Amino acid sequence: MRKNMENLRPMKNKIKIFRAMHNLTQEHLAQAIGVNRQTILAIEKEKYIPSLDLAFKISRYFGVNIEEVFIFDEKTPTVMGT
Amino acid sequence: MKKNTFYLIFGCIALALLFLFWYSVELHTPLLIEIAFILGIVLVFLAKRKVTDVIDDERDVKITEQATIRTMQVFWVVFCAFSIGAVMQILYVPTFPRQQMGTHPPDLLGPRMIGYIQLGLLCLMVFLYVGFRIYYAKKYGEFETDEE
Repeated sequence: MRKNMENLRPMKNKIKIFRAMHNLTQEHLAQAIGVNRQTILAIEKEKYIPSLDLAFKISRYFGVNIEEVFIFDEKTPTVMGT
Repeated sequence: MKKNTFYLIFGCIALALLFLFWYSVELHTPLLIEIAFILGIVLVFLAKRKVTDVIDDERDVKITEQATIRTMQVFWVVFCAFSIGAVMQILYVPTFPRQQMGTHPPDLLGPRMIGYIQLGLLCLMVFLYVGFRIYYAKKYGEFETDEE
């Protein structure tokens, strides 16, 4: 079950697009939010799903809501039944 | 120097110390291992100062955490299996009723050699840890390259 969840990778992101919009390099973004450049690269390539804390930091740095940067792609049942 | 290189150096120093410990016991000269141990600590300290990737972010922490868990899982199975087997061999367990009294199976390993092998397994754990670190680093995109 755990392995399946890791393989599905339902979390997509638009960090690369936002970086391009703000003319930022991975190094700049990494320094600004206090991580390694390789971590930004891994998130962009969807090899690593960031923690909620880091996801908020990234989206706040770009001045947008978290759901504009990170997209949860999995079909999850909701309380409304849809 | 990368962290993994440091751990490999640390493992090599530990193995060298184990060899010197065995040698000093064989020669009955405790001074040799005492000096080697102090030298080993100095070498580890000097190597640690050369480590450059000291900034840890959450991905590094996760890699370290996963590698540690897997290393411990594998290590304790191997270590316990070997130790139980060794103790059973020393105590001649199990002895079957049909076995003639007074005849024991030949000793494969003496208690001293068992101790050395246990210490050796402890040293090899470092290499296992590095292997798992590389595996998880690759899994979490450490070796990914980008156009940037």
